[in-house]
Amino acid sequence: MMLKKINSSQFEKLFNKLKKDYNIAAPILHQKGKKELIEYSVIDDFNKIVWDKQPDTSPKNIIFPQNTLLGNDYEENKEYDNDKITIVLGVRSCDLAAIKTFDQVFIEDEMYTDQNYQDRRDNTILVGLSCEQREETSFCDVLGIDAIESDYAPIYLFKDNEIFWIKINDQKYESIFSDLPDGNQQDFEKLLNFRRKNFNQSSFDLDIPVPLPEKEIFKSEIWEEMSEKCLSCGVCTYYCPTCYCFNFFWEGEGEDSTKYKNWDSCMFSSYTVHASGHNPRDSKDKRYRNRIMHKFSYHPLNYEGLGCVGCGRCIDRCPVNLDIREALKLTEQFLDEKGGA
Amino acid sequence: MKRYEKITKEIREVAKELLEKNEVEKVIGFGKGLILDEIGPIFISKPKDIKRLEFTPEAEMSLAKYLLNYKGRNVAIVAKPCDSRAIASYLSENLINRDEVKIIGINGCPGIEDNTACDECDIRNAVIADYYVGEKMTEEDIQKELKDKEDKIEKMSPQERMEYFRSEFERCTRCYACREACFICYCEECFTDSNQPNWIKESVSLNDNFTYHIMRAMHMAGRCVNCGACEMACPEGIDVRALEAKMVRVADELFDYRAGVDPKQKTLLAEYDVNDSEKGFMD
Repeated sequence: MMLKKINSSQFEKLFNKLKKDYNIAAPILHQKGKKELIEYSVIDDFNKIVWDKQPDTSPKNIIFPQNTLLGNDYEENKEYDNDKITIVLGVRSCDLAAIKTFDQVFIEDEMYTDQNYQDRRDNTILVGLSCEQREETSFCDVLGIDAIESDYAPIYLFKDNEIFWIKINDQKYESIFSDLPDGNQQDFEKLLNFRRKNFNQSSFDLDIPVPLPEKEIFKSEIWEEMSEKCLSCGVCTYYCPTCYCFNFFWEGEGEDSTKYKNWDSCMFSSYTVHASGHNPRDSKDKRYRNRIMHKFSYHPLNYEGLGCVGCGRCIDRCPVNLDIREALKLTEQFLDEKGGA
Repeated sequence: MKRYEKITKEIREVAKELLEKNEVEKVIGFGKGLILDEIGPIFISKPKDIKRLEFTPEAEMSLAKYLLNYKGRNVAIVAKPCDSRAIASYLSENLINRDEVKIIGINGCPGIEDNTACDECDIRNAVIADYYVGEKMTEEDIQKELKDKEDKIEKMSPQERMEYFRSEFERCTRCYACREACFICYCEECFTDSNQPNWIKESVSLNDNFTYHIMRAMHMAGRCVNCGACEMACPEGIDVRALEAKMVRVADELFDYRAGVDPKQKTLLAEYDVNDSEKGFMD
């Protein structure tokens, strides 16, 4: 482990040096109609980076874009230079945990490795960022995710006003930073302790068994209650950093046809329609149940950790403010009452 | 804020009466979440929860569509004037049963924050209701509050207009929030989900985004009540309503038709008169 401490103008210099050899993507402000959204883009100007607010869109769009023309990765997105490695700056712990779930499914799974994903992942350097404060709708702390520090990124940043602490977890990247001044380990520990002490924890607590016991809750009525206001659009899944469902499509005719890989969403009624026309998830309560069960039962059963990282984006972006925290609370109450009876 | 508070108070009174007398099993209205401090749709079935009902400038969703989930059951619904027009449309299309729904209609709707449709709105009293809340606005007051209807898109040259819609639809991820938020989009199978014929490709591209939005707009002709729910639902801030609003103007100008103003009216496309204008809107 290497620890460096630099100020923002030193970081800017480093940024300007690196941008010649790498695509550098970072969260910047986008004006989208009436909406101001912070999203990842390839950038040229260090001063445009928004450090102090959680991006509205996760880096999923970079390592697992919505459309992929198979075998021709970045073709659709002219922003990225295919010959260069992409540095993704400012990835928070929640989004790193989300990328970990992707890695488990697409790379580490014994049965299958997704070569496209693996290639894109190999061509990406994630640079983490320590959170100072929890966002209004985030509940990372409740799910046991450490917002202050994560070792899942090879390089991790701690921004303290105009000072950047850089923790290099992977020896491979040490040479990039070797000229920069070292940070004092004790001062660094102080900063970490201060952050942990002052982190605004979620006001709600949660006590559910993980994985959620499918047999006990699958047929319960709580799903209908939870999903009553759901519109069945795909917003929660499209902006979720861990939702990775996809589908393949052949498009075009004859020799011109191409194979696409595209995001899909379990909230769409068409998601599970069989060729016969039968739909095993024909109502929104069944679809919402799948969303909760995948994240809190099926993912932990098959892999490690949860399929939800508590970033809160599904709550922020939902057109009807459907709140996954309320859904989890309802599940907790149901299991409590069942256990007590 | 006084207007919103008065409406909130009156909604609670009506809801209390309906639930206590067991006239309905649920009241569909607006209120804050149990954890989230923001307004969204809520479904109240116990009298003790009535105080959760609220009406604020953030009550942006159209609730009418939820009625389709409650056929055969007795429910009450809070309806802004635009939502009451949606309900009237459902009634004229025979989609819901009048006697199963108790409508709490808002008179003198004070408008919804950031909803550009409200600036153009001149139907500010509920068109149909069992209980009216708020204060009825006179035609004079409505005209006074009407913002100048200068349409920036109508004024554009075709090239500028193309550029405008290109930059808007480029952002579309086809999450279909606009479709699902729209009370008219109740088709069992949307053309976007059909694979035979395959109207639009599943991969998201500018061309197919155009196809989606234009085809949706065509289905809105003579049916859209210009409530702005599509635009409010869009997570990418796309001006989704622009095409639909054009359909509303076309129906008004050519056929003197406005959707959802009377539950007994026939739908625009279901009736024909030899004197109907034959002017196409493409010329």
